[in-house]
Amino acid sequence: MDITFMLEILPQFLSVLPITLLIIVVSTICGFLLSVLVVAIRIKKVRLLNPIMGMYISFTRSTPILLQLFLIYYGLPVVLALMGIHINDMNPTTASIITLIIYNGAYMSEVVRPAYLAVERGQHEAADSLGFSPFKKLYRIIIPQVAPIALPGLGNAIIYLIHDTSLIFAIGVVDIMGLANIIISSNYGMNQIEIYLLIAIIYWIVSMLSEQMIKYLERRKQRLPYNGSTKEVA
Amino acid sequence: MFMEVSTHKMLLLKNLQISFNDEQVLKGINLTVNKGDVVTLIGPSGTGKTTLLRCINYLEKPDDGEITLGDVHLDYKSIRKKDILKIRRKTAMVFQQYNLFKHKTVIENVMEAQMVVQKKSKKAAYEKSMEELEKVGLIDKINAYPSQLSGGQQQRVSIARALAVEPEVILFDEPTSALDPELVGEVLKVIEAVAKSGITIVLVTHEMSFAQNISTKVVFMDKGKIVEEGTPTEIFNQSSNERTREFLNQFYTRKN
Ligand SMILES: Nc1ncnc2c1ncn2[C@@H]1O[C@H](COP(=O)(O)OP(=O)(O)OP(=O)(O)O)[C@@H](O)[C@H]1O
Ligand SMILES: [Mg+2]
Repeated sequence: MDITFMLEILPQFLSVLPITLLIIVVSTICGFLLSVLVVAIRIKKVRLLNPIMGMYISFTRSTPILLQLFLIYYGLPVVLALMGIHINDMNPTTASIITLIIYNGAYMSEVVRPAYLAVERGQHEAADSLGFSPFKKLYRIIIPQVAPIALPGLGNAIIYLIHDTSLIFAIGVVDIMGLANIIISSNYGMNQIEIYLLIAIIYWIVSMLSEQMIKYLERRKQRLPYNGSTKEVA
Repeated sequence: MFMEVSTHKMLLLKNLQISFNDEQVLKGINLTVNKGDVVTLIGPSGTGKTTLLRCINYLEKPDDGEITLGDVHLDYKSIRKKDILKIRRKTAMVFQQYNLFKHKTVIENVMEAQMVVQKKSKKAAYEKSMEELEKVGLIDKINAYPSQLSGGQQQRVSIARALAVEPEVILFDEPTSALDPELVGEVLKVIEAVAKSGITIVLVTHEMSFAQNISTKVVFMDKGKIVEEGTPTEIFNQSSNERTREFLNQFYTRKN
């Protein structure tokens, strides 16, 4: 084990950390917003769109994300060309972000939807009966009860997302994993263990930090002395 | 001083109809409630009593009919979103299952609608809430969460929450039927005090002797229609209507 080597290459990894973090943050936020939209469509049972969302979720959750990544990277330009939009070079980073947003939109919607449905009808009706506007009801009564139920599941989704980014090197994104492969091949396969160990530690730290962030949000939101039943979420 | 004889109409329903899945549940309800009235709806299970209360509060959308509530008159066929809020802000519902906001303390539950719907200041809402919570005897529980209270206490909070928005009509749907028997009394006592304070009430209950005591008018419903209405004495003691008597007899035999 060559610790000095690990320390030597560390700055290189830190230099690609921002792009990895950017991909994670953008995919998390946009994926979450997409999931809210999907949940709204499914709960309101919007005609036409509702069955499409069902198919989207089913497809996304039952195919490997690596395959989806290839489909977007190689397939999307073809589909767009059929629609008359020609992009010569699909940027791998863009393709990765699109894939992760689509994947997370589906995954997170399956966290948000049961959380929303777990809030009893009586809570809606109490607010309605007092004359809350739909927005005020959502904002003051429903979301504060959905959030503590959904947060642990969303936290898991973010951790999975972080781990899923380790696949995007496959279409040529030079993130942490991509850089690791470049260094290993230019190093004729030497010090492989050190490199993998180093990036494992980086993933660990990034995951831990996001976990702490979610925990912080949970503590802030969860001031209700629920009997514990709401803490366990699928 | 003259005692004001109140004949001022507070709530008027005309030909209210509603169906669920092609089955007509309310078949043209006409009802007049005067200001300060305590109107009790009684009748067999599945008759549409709850549905009628929910229609008044617009938790269900009637298919047809008209409602006059204070100075608002609406035709259900041409109702707009704005009207819905108007109606809801003039009525308050006390639910069988209390439905307190679970994430809010007792005082917050009572303050919430005052601040969010009525746009009162926090201070004004707090003071009004304390006043109402005092009436229902829960001043010592203001910082408790609903899950820390007994059913009877929760129902008293929900009554305070309804009173706090000063609705023109309060609707009670079997407010004691989810309670353990030993907790029924404390809630009935609070409702009785509300009734005596002159607030207009429409109440659904199976507590017949309570209905007899506090009602100014009793309405007997069966199969989605009003069969008979009158003073408690007229309905409970003097009714010559066969269905009313059958229901009441059956009720008392079941009870005893
Ligand atoms: N949302 C709904 N969807 C379908 N059917 C409904 C709905 N609400 C009520 N009903 C039906 O309408 C009828 C009247 O129900 P309602 O709850 O108003 O009766 P009720 O007089 O309050 O009875 P109970 O004394 O048992 O409370 C019942 O047959 C019920 O199944
Ligand atoms: Mg009922």
